[in-house]
Amino acid sequence: MIRVTAEPSVTAETIVEFCRFARNRGLSVSVQETLGALEAASAIGAANINDLRFGLRSVLCSSKEDCDLFEECFEAFWNAGPTEPSSSDCLHPRDTRRSEITRRNPQGMMSTRSSGEDSSSERFGAQAVTGASARERLAKADFSELQQTDMAALEQIALRLFKQMACRLARRRRISTLQGQVDLRRTIRRNISRGGEPINLRFRERRPRPHRLVTLLDISGSMSPYSVFLMKFLFVLQKHFRNVDTFFFSTSLFEITPLFHSRRLHDALHDLSQIPAGWAGGTSIGGSLREFNLLHRRKLRSSDTLFLILSDGWETGDPSLLSAELSRVKRQVRRVIWLNPLLGMKDYQPLTAGMRAALRHIDVFASAHNLESLLALERHL
Amino acid sequence: MDSHRDSSAANLTVDSLISGLESVGYVIDRSLATAVFLVTKLRKPILVEGQAGLGKTELAKALAALLDTRLIRLQCYEGLDVNSAVYEWNYQKQLLAIKIEESSNQSVEEKERHIFSREFLLERPLLQSIQAEDRSPVLLIDEIDRADEAFEAFLLELLSDFQITIPEMGTIRAKYVPYVVLTSNRSRELGDALKRRCLYQWIDYPSLEKEMKIVRTRLPGIEEQLARQVVAYVHTVRTLNLGKPPGVAETLDCAEAMRVLGKTHLDEDAVRETLGCISKSVEDDAKIKNAGMSTFLASERPPL
Repeated sequence: MIRVTAEPSVTAETIVEFCRFARNRGLSVSVQETLGALEAASAIGAANINDLRFGLRSVLCSSKEDCDLFEECFEAFWNAGPTEPSSSDCLHPRDTRRSEITRRNPQGMMSTRSSGEDSSSERFGAQAVTGASARERLAKADFSELQQTDMAALEQIALRLFKQMACRLARRRRISTLQGQVDLRRTIRRNISRGGEPINLRFRERRPRPHRLVTLLDISGSMSPYSVFLMKFLFVLQKHFRNVDTFFFSTSLFEITPLFHSRRLHDALHDLSQIPAGWAGGTSIGGSLREFNLLHRRKLRSSDTLFLILSDGWETGDPSLLSAELSRVKRQVRRVIWLNPLLGMKDYQPLTAGMRAALRHIDVFASAHNLESLLALERHL
Repeated sequence: MDSHRDSSAANLTVDSLISGLESVGYVIDRSLATAVFLVTKLRKPILVEGQAGLGKTELAKALAALLDTRLIRLQCYEGLDVNSAVYEWNYQKQLLAIKIEESSNQSVEEKERHIFSREFLLERPLLQSIQAEDRSPVLLIDEIDRADEAFEAFLLELLSDFQITIPEMGTIRAKYVPYVVLTSNRSRELGDALKRRCLYQWIDYPSLEKEMKIVRTRLPGIEEQLARQVVAYVHTVRTLNLGKPPGVAETLDCAEAMRVLGKTHLDEDAVRETLGCISKSVEDDAKIKNAGMSTFLASERPPL
């Protein structure tokens, strides 16, 4: 609890200092927010520290996660504790250098590194790895062969590229040129000189609905070099696309959508580790698909649903079950896309029984072993 | 007029906001009240996020009632475009006007000026909100997460300058800047730029006491025992990890339903008969039934 109850000396300096403090702790506070905070503080006054807290929170936060972080910062800053020697300014901020150590990496969404490792990443810096050649090398590198240090760099690049991809997809929708309704406004405008007779018709483009995406990620043992990265990929995918449903499967199926829903990746991964999914266990693709068909089939709409499976196709169950269940799915969706990380290997042939059984129901069969191949998915979305 | 001046935004304080909103039937906690207070002072929009049925939309309505001003509501949906959110020309009327003026000897420029005058303009919510003549209205942009990113980008312009440009007419600037309340159910992440322009408030499920207060305020005639039982019951249901946990709106529905059915206390029959108020899917139905009536009934026994 906040122990400081009434504090007359909340000055502009302390507010600015607090904003800096919060920024160092990972809250995204720009100059604009700092100005907002100052305005808010002067509107509220300093009579009640709780009001000030609520007010600053509404200015400086922009999501529930921010709010939690804010509470921490506020507590640490204003409630410096009874042992703190009091200076002329009672609300003397804590040493900001200390917070530098626990500083969160603002771009760290894709990264699960603990704060201790951050200092090293700051030295090498995100800027250092965005050089074109490094980027190219990383984009082509197979996930299973990546070093740990490269992984972090790759995640940063990936996050940015995935975002761009989502943005491009949105734009592509807009400039599509399907002719639909007559656009009366433009038609009239064009034809005023002809007395308003609609001679030159103008059309309004109909924007196609964005596709719904249902993704199933194989998290069984054979996929383990890839599944962690693919998980992060799916997380970003769900964050930036509407209508994404995410499932994990090994021997049975788990719906992950609510876990991924509007959280930080770090928390989501933590929650994931709690669920009793068969991490690194055997694979029953057919069985998992049957479960999907039983419970979640109504999520599929044949007109606009893309069904995305990320698996290496090492089926330990009955291949004919896989074939039957996949064909049921196939009838209900627009396109079945299967991404197989093994396709990245030079002489890989989809010869496993499971993969062979599945192949004839698949519309797009592509690789998912490196960043480039994941980004190539854009074409099919 | 004096009563108006009392409730006008100029001399609001956080405390008067809390009591004022309560008097119009909206129970508010201090943190949200502080944020709303800042809305009236800094004239920034507020973005309210939270699960469905927790009174996000009600906030705007209550604020409008308190400030005794108009509520202008824009319900967002996928594919919402500028034509239905901002303005549209009345094409039919324009076509007629062109026909009628055909024989007049006005120049083309005059004709154009005429058919693109205010007379032919259909004002949609966003344009209405900046056209107020006497006082600032409350503009509610409901479920912004449902609208497309493109629309979000358009809103940015409006929310920072409070002006709208109509190519045929010029720029319309707000005389009275509206109080803007945006709500979102977090079905998707909103753009940073938009969030940055807004004050932010997250609404969580209310505490037992607060929810009791809400039930008492909204359903004044309800028996204390029944109210307490229903609220405790809903609180237990919320712990069941449902697909769609019941919000305050569901609590009110349920309590109201009980009253209409003539129940004086909660029992197994009452729970079963009003299940539809609490759970909105087959899966949740099953979860509630599986949890067993006894769990609810035990939690509902009023402390003696």
